[in-house]
Amino acid sequence: MKKFKKFTALLLSAVLAAGVMTGCGGSDGSDGGNSDAGTPANATPGNREGEVNQQAHETDRDTSGTRTMTFGIQNYGGGGIDPAKEINCAWNVSRYGVGECLFMFDNAMNIQPKLCDSYTVNDEHTEWVFHIRDGVKFSDGCDVTAEAVKASFARLFEAGPRGSSAPQKYLEAEAEITADNASGNVVIKTSKPYVDLTKNLAYPVMVILDVEHTTDYDHAAIGTGPYVATNFREEVGYTMVANEHYWGGDVPYASIELLYMGDASAKAMALQSGQLDLAENVTNISDLRDLQVDPQFTVTIASGVRTGLAHMNMAEGRLLSNKTLREAVLMALDDDTMCSITVGGLYTSGFSVLPSTLDYGYKNLTDPYAFDPDAAAKLLDDAGIVDTNGDGTRELDGKEVVLHYVTYPNRCLNDFAEAIQQQLTAIGIGVDLEIGDSAREWDSYQSGDFDINGSNWTTVGTGDPTEYLAAWCSTSGADYCGYKNAEYDALYDELNTTFDTAARRDIIQRMQQILIDDAAAIVHGYYNSSMISRNETVGGAAIHTADYYWITTEIYPAS
Amino acid sequence: MEVKNFVKKNKAFCLFALLALLIILTAIFAPVVTGGVSPTDSVLKDALQAPSARHIFGTDKLGRDIFTRVIYGARTSLTASFAVVLIIFALGTVLGVLAGYFGGWVDAVIMRIADMMVSFPGMVFAMAIAGILGASVRNAVIAVSLVSWTKYARLARSLVLKIRNRDYVAAAVVTGSKTPYILTKYMIPNVIPTLVITAATDIGGMMLELAGLSFLGFGAKAPTPEWGLMLNEGRQFIQSAPWMMLYPGAAIFVVVVVFNLLGDALRDILDPRDE
Repeated sequence: MKKFKKFTALLLSAVLAAGVMTGCGGSDGSDGGNSDAGTPANATPGNREGEVNQQAHETDRDTSGTRTMTFGIQNYGGGGIDPAKEINCAWNVSRYGVGECLFMFDNAMNIQPKLCDSYTVNDEHTEWVFHIRDGVKFSDGCDVTAEAVKASFARLFEAGPRGSSAPQKYLEAEAEITADNASGNVVIKTSKPYVDLTKNLAYPVMVILDVEHTTDYDHAAIGTGPYVATNFREEVGYTMVANEHYWGGDVPYASIELLYMGDASAKAMALQSGQLDLAENVTNISDLRDLQVDPQFTVTIASGVRTGLAHMNMAEGRLLSNKTLREAVLMALDDDTMCSITVGGLYTSGFSVLPSTLDYGYKNLTDPYAFDPDAAAKLLDDAGIVDTNGDGTRELDGKEVVLHYVTYPNRCLNDFAEAIQQQLTAIGIGVDLEIGDSAREWDSYQSGDFDINGSNWTTVGTGDPTEYLAAWCSTSGADYCGYKNAEYDALYDELNTTFDTAARRDIIQRMQQILIDDAAAIVHGYYNSSMISRNETVGGAAIHTADYYWITTEIYPAS
Repeated sequence: MEVKNFVKKNKAFCLFALLALLIILTAIFAPVVTGGVSPTDSVLKDALQAPSARHIFGTDKLGRDIFTRVIYGARTSLTASFAVVLIIFALGTVLGVLAGYFGGWVDAVIMRIADMMVSFPGMVFAMAIAGILGASVRNAVIAVSLVSWTKYARLARSLVLKIRNRDYVAAAVVTGSKTPYILTKYMIPNVIPTLVITAATDIGGMMLELAGLSFLGFGAKAPTPEWGLMLNEGRQFIQSAPWMMLYPGAAIFVVVVVFNLLGDALRDILDPRDE
């Protein structure tokens, strides 16, 4: 018996070895065309701007209001929906269709009225009067009055300032808020002028909740959205049921099962097997392409407002405080190939910190550090940053140039990190790659424990990039990368007091060029968000430019 | 003639020893086998190419040649596995022999530590240790060693206890033999054959554990060519580029099978009672 077992094992290993050899032989020649092409079979050279498509699949609508749907999503913030607790929870309450703000962003990132149907502002931009739409109710049937809106803000400022939600970033804590139920007006007086407070109030942190009746903010907050969060299960999801008091018309689904799925391939396979009707952001390009060519599914892709970038730590004493080294790093990186092939087009390549699709003068910007690895190596040689001990890594002031690169595996950031590691190693710059979780990445960013810190940031969260650009302003308190440029700081201050749109655009364009010239950040590209729906069961599902909106009444069951 | 007789008598052992030797030689001469290609050389534009004449195992997501990485991966996997087996063999044997021979508080301390170690699921404990130490091959070796030495210590202790009170040991004591002499002359030679067999059969298992840790992100770090890590890298391409998982997986399978069967064959030679 034992000998038989051994014989079987031997046979198995021999068969496998033969299989391996056959695999080599069988592929010889027949696949030559593939290697000759120089690109992978399932990748398209160049960017995917042409593939951006926010046109949902439209079909006959089932109006019975009895249908259900399954929606596979990434779990952020542990699934909490308390906007005061942390920023991810604020996004959840909006994404899950539970809560709404006074305003919302359309796909051009312009403001559209939501719970507020009209507003006025004085010439100084310090006194704003918002009229709350008549007939709006919370999901518990209570009216959304001016007082209720004021109470919602009051609770936010009581519970939120110390966490990552930081509502004071969107509306100063000193603002005086008064409410008049008779007129339906909420008046906000601020000590400093706001260029456009409506955009700040459209940010998900400023969502309006029924604070008088909500008892469980974490998983059962009462909002005005089309669905009500019920049946939360840790790491599993929610059952969202239709809000019978919804002010915006019929709610298409009786219920929606939200299922947390962190693995992109698992999401794709669940769609293919029919376990999911809808999924957001399949971040694995090979799976996304399979779904794109499958007539059973509609894949919508938004050229979003997110930039994939790696901050460089330019603080005194850090390796990357040396500008020549930063320039060489940028010149060593083939952004176009990384965006189009390494991450398969999930990003559109670009060299500025603001996406090329936004109206901030990208076309007028110039990139002095285009991809040229030979020139990068020469630049380092000329600057005396050379490998003197023959270990393959250059030295700067007697110190090995090994850069500590911290990132996390989300939205292909780890793929960028590995590709960058390879390319920098090729010109003699070592990279100590640390791929942890998002909390580790953020800690390292804030503590300065990094040379390169890869992340993916929303650039115009409030419809404007001012807050985002603070990351390089040494006087903003948000500059964790040690960057200092007096001209940039002055422009940032000017931006905060300039109301004219054209003048703001000009300032922002100049700020971008300064960052480019100073080689202040490694820009991977601009992330394209996606949403995939099953045509047989779902209509109207499309990814929004601002990724605060996933479940909306636009999504309906196919009849 | 003696060699011929040995081969004739132990065909299985010789075959698997030859295969194991081939694997080891492949690892040692990796630069020759791969024609001088570096396992970290990447051409981003050649990403995810199917097996072809140019890349017989295809390429990965960074355009690296998978054949080269699989061959170099043997270096990482074999070195780490042999290191683990050597560490746990040496540590376990020494502690087990000391516990068995001296008994008393020495035995109690060593065995209670061993009991604590085995009270956790091995892989989970190794993940915890590797997680605390940080991801690297060296730390994975330390983690797996820390959870695996107990088997050897318990085995060595029980083998020592079997002979501890034999007359010839008592005779050695009364004739004035020193303790180190007794340990090296009587105790260790008695436990070594069994422990060598155990070590030989453990190589494959350790290789799997190390690959498992790397697969989970607690072992080798990119861009190290390591089979477990390569499996993890290929996971997201399982539908579109299955060769990214197929070849590292096959490498692990073949090497583990060869070393397991070699261990079995060695046991047949050293410990023929089971036959």
